[in-house]
Amino acid sequence: METQSSPELLPGTLFLLILRTLRSGPLHGYAIARRIKDASRDGLQIEDGSLYPALNRMLVKGWLAAQWGISENNRKARFYRLTPEGRKQLEREAGDFDRLVRAIQLVMRTA
Amino acid sequence: MAFWEEIARRIAWMKGRSRFERELDDEIRFHMETRADELEQEGLARAEALIQARREFGSSLRAREDARSAWQFRWLEDLWADLRYAARAFRRNPAFALTAIACLTLGVGANTTMFSVAMELLFSEPSCRDARSLVQVSVGRHDWTLMPHYRFLRDAQVFDGLGGMNIGMVVNWRNGSTSYKLAGTHVTDNFFEVTGIPVAIGRPIERGETDVTVITHGFWRRRLGSDPNVLGRRLVLDGKPYTVVGVLPRDHRMLVGFGMTPDLYLTKDVGEVTIYGRLPMGMSRPAVYARLKPVLREMDRVFPDRDRKWGEGAKLSGVGGMDRLELQGGAGMQMAAFMGMLVLVTGLVLLIACANVSSLLLARAFSRSQELAIRTSLGGSRGRIVRQLLAESLLLAACGTAAGVALNLILTRLLSGVRIPTPLPIEIVIQPDWRLLAYCAGIAVLVTFAAGLVPAVRGTRAGIGSALKERERQAGAGRWTLRNALVVGQLAVSIVLLSAGLVFLRNLLRASSASVGFDTGHTIMASVRAVPDSSTTAKTDNLIGAALERLRALPGVESVSLAWAAPLNPFLAFSRVGGEVRPDTSSHAIRTQYNFNAVGPDYFHVMDIPILRGRAFLESDRQGAPAVAILNENLARLLFGHIDPVGHTVLLPDNREVRIAGVARNSKYVTMGEENAMALYGPFAQHGDGWSGAHFFIRAKGAPDLLLRQVNATLGDLDPTAAVETWAMRDVFSWALLPSRIGAGVLGAMALLGLALASVGLYGVLLYAVSRRIGEIGVRVALGATPARVLGMVAGESARLLGAGMAIGLGVAVFAVRPLSMFLVPGVRPTDATNFVAVAFALSLVAALATLAPALRALRIDPAVALRQE
Repeated sequence: METQSSPELLPGTLFLLILRTLRSGPLHGYAIARRIKDASRDGLQIEDGSLYPALNRMLVKGWLAAQWGISENNRKARFYRLTPEGRKQLEREAGDFDRLVRAIQLVMRTA
Repeated sequence: MAFWEEIARRIAWMKGRSRFERELDDEIRFHMETRADELEQEGLARAEALIQARREFGSSLRAREDARSAWQFRWLEDLWADLRYAARAFRRNPAFALTAIACLTLGVGANTTMFSVAMELLFSEPSCRDARSLVQVSVGRHDWTLMPHYRFLRDAQVFDGLGGMNIGMVVNWRNGSTSYKLAGTHVTDNFFEVTGIPVAIGRPIERGETDVTVITHGFWRRRLGSDPNVLGRRLVLDGKPYTVVGVLPRDHRMLVGFGMTPDLYLTKDVGEVTIYGRLPMGMSRPAVYARLKPVLREMDRVFPDRDRKWGEGAKLSGVGGMDRLELQGGAGMQMAAFMGMLVLVTGLVLLIACANVSSLLLARAFSRSQELAIRTSLGGSRGRIVRQLLAESLLLAACGTAAGVALNLILTRLLSGVRIPTPLPIEIVIQPDWRLLAYCAGIAVLVTFAAGLVPAVRGTRAGIGSALKERERQAGAGRWTLRNALVVGQLAVSIVLLSAGLVFLRNLLRASSASVGFDTGHTIMASVRAVPDSSTTAKTDNLIGAALERLRALPGVESVSLAWAAPLNPFLAFSRVGGEVRPDTSSHAIRTQYNFNAVGPDYFHVMDIPILRGRAFLESDRQGAPAVAILNENLARLLFGHIDPVGHTVLLPDNREVRIAGVARNSKYVTMGEENAMALYGPFAQHGDGWSGAHFFIRAKGAPDLLLRQVNATLGDLDPTAAVETWAMRDVFSWALLPSRIGAGVLGAMALLGLALASVGLYGVLLYAVSRRIGEIGVRVALGATPARVLGMVAGESARLLGAGMAIGLGVAVFAVRPLSMFLVPGVRPTDATNFVAVAFALSLVAALATLAPALRALRIDPAVALRQE
């Protein structure tokens, strides 16, 4: 499966970031992008164009569920939330990611 | 499973597609507007904020496309588009598509039909409840068991029900004033309960019933005229009335398989049965076997047998699949090998058909090379174009397979009506099932790749530049070597097929011309079966005497005799006796197996079997007179070597001592294929007790056919309860040839089909070659090439292909036909050199015919027209 990710992101991490962002509760697409940007103190920028294809891929996989609602600025917006399946996936991917980062750090420090 | 849920979500998405598009639009608009709100708060004007938001978002079209493709079955939609494109292309060129589909139809039809027949004969599921928990029980090395032993096993209650069946029994059905022989399968009263064989009309035989019968659909239709009030009808079978309680469904398949179908099932104590047991719920075969072991040890105590232990060779075998095939021993394996060979042979025909289609597609890919080159230059990836070309072969394969399956359904329907009148008739019912479906799907995929992959890869390989210039290039000889290779392959395979076909044809000729060792031209055989229990020895002796007398009195009858067994019929034939025979000239016994028959005094005269030494049987060789026997040459040589056996005695395996009265010439006894068979004859009068059936042999003065009816009527009048069947010996002989006929018919047909397909392939390639070289030939003619030279060009091409195909084909055939010898009568050698010469000649002839039209086309080329076209 090809994933469209911005050059700043490691390949495959976009799903992980989205899953993590949604852990605390449902958000709409714009808020997800915003949250990631803010949380990383502008270190990570998700290309808007790749956010929606990624969300749809995750809907297909059954990790997310979507529902229409009203946003904080009183507009109709689509809110995404984690499914139990998505929560499991987040745990898996987060664990994998931690191990990967730790391994890379080890190499960077010692090699 | 996650995978299936995902598929389900995708399908649900497809249904709500327009809503999805709308929602996606809304969502993207919301995103931009929210961003614009933010920018507005930072101080931008609304319009500017919107433009900025849009710029930041990037291509919304692209985002939408990517979001959509997350849901789509991309390859499926591509495939659909490719198939539609291919269908359009074929509509523009229907001759091409029809030729390809017709080739595939014949190949697939032949191959799948053979597959259906093989599966039905060898592996059909028997009609019963839960075949998996039903087993055939063999104890003491036999697959049949005497009734007391059966009852002992049944009462041991190891199984969840144990029933017995005896398949090959004959019963006389008295209908009006005549009696007919029926194939009646005898079963124990609980048989239907144990096996759960489904009944179409009425009910099965139930426990405790002794006078009811369940008839097969075929018998009901053929002999009872599909009588709607058949239930309750009384049939007099072997002199006893039976009530019909049920009719089996049309597709009833017997537990023994091989398409064997009796006329009816009835309950009767027939002395021995094959045992079928139902495994107790949830118990495996080994577990039940372990429970059976102590019962068999107990049987050793109750029924001691000094020759064997009951546990020896005891086994539980399944009632379907390989188990059943193995139970048939050598015969089953040979049948499987024969069917396997037929499937293989028809597979070769299919291969030739695939080569034709491949060749056609290749030609098409070449003529489309410009189109493909343009598509490549416009950025179509090669993989995409290969996929599109494969879609064409997929479409052809799908159409060809579908038509082939239709052909299969027609052919198998025809075959399903055939009834081979062996004593237990063979009547196959072929119905399309999942196995055929799976096989056909496999075939379609195989054909797609076999026919399409090479043209697709090859057709897209040519570089863009060269392909665009293709038109200007002169297509020289050897330019399309791949198509030539395909034709060479086809010719080679058809050589192999022809060789196999010819071997079987010669086998048939050999078998039909082979001397059976007795006269078949003037003799009539009448088989008489009396109702067993009703006959006492005195009564039957009188009957036989009267029969012989009346038959002799018929005008046109020269002489009459009788015998126990009939020659050349594996079911009515000579009983095979094996064991130690001790001639008085030797101090030790000789182990052998021989065919035994008890014959009347004039038998050797009627059958025209010469007595080489000593004498034939006489009226005086009756019960009470010294026991005598006549040997055939083979047995005489084995037992006595060069000593004249007449007057010597031998001790037979049953401990009887007989004096040798004469030696008869060798002849065929059971099958046409047997070689060096041993035979021993005894006088009918010394073996006639316990008689319930006999065969009368009548020698006619003229043509035997005129006598058939009179003989039948004469014997029928003597005892109306006895069933009489009369044949000219010639027909008996032709039944013996049936296997050879089937072999020759099927292989001959396949060889001809293969040859026809290969010649179409050759024709196509040559015609295409000529059409590609019109310009060149035009120039040559303009420069003074004679018609003979032009002809030589085409013929030379054809000869080159033929030569190569023949060389390869003959090389392969020499090895490929070798294993066929196991299906042939002795004396037919598959690798006979004359066969290959004949095959090569036949192929050359057909190739010459296929060359004719392309050659004429080349001759008709008018230089003026050809050059202008250039």
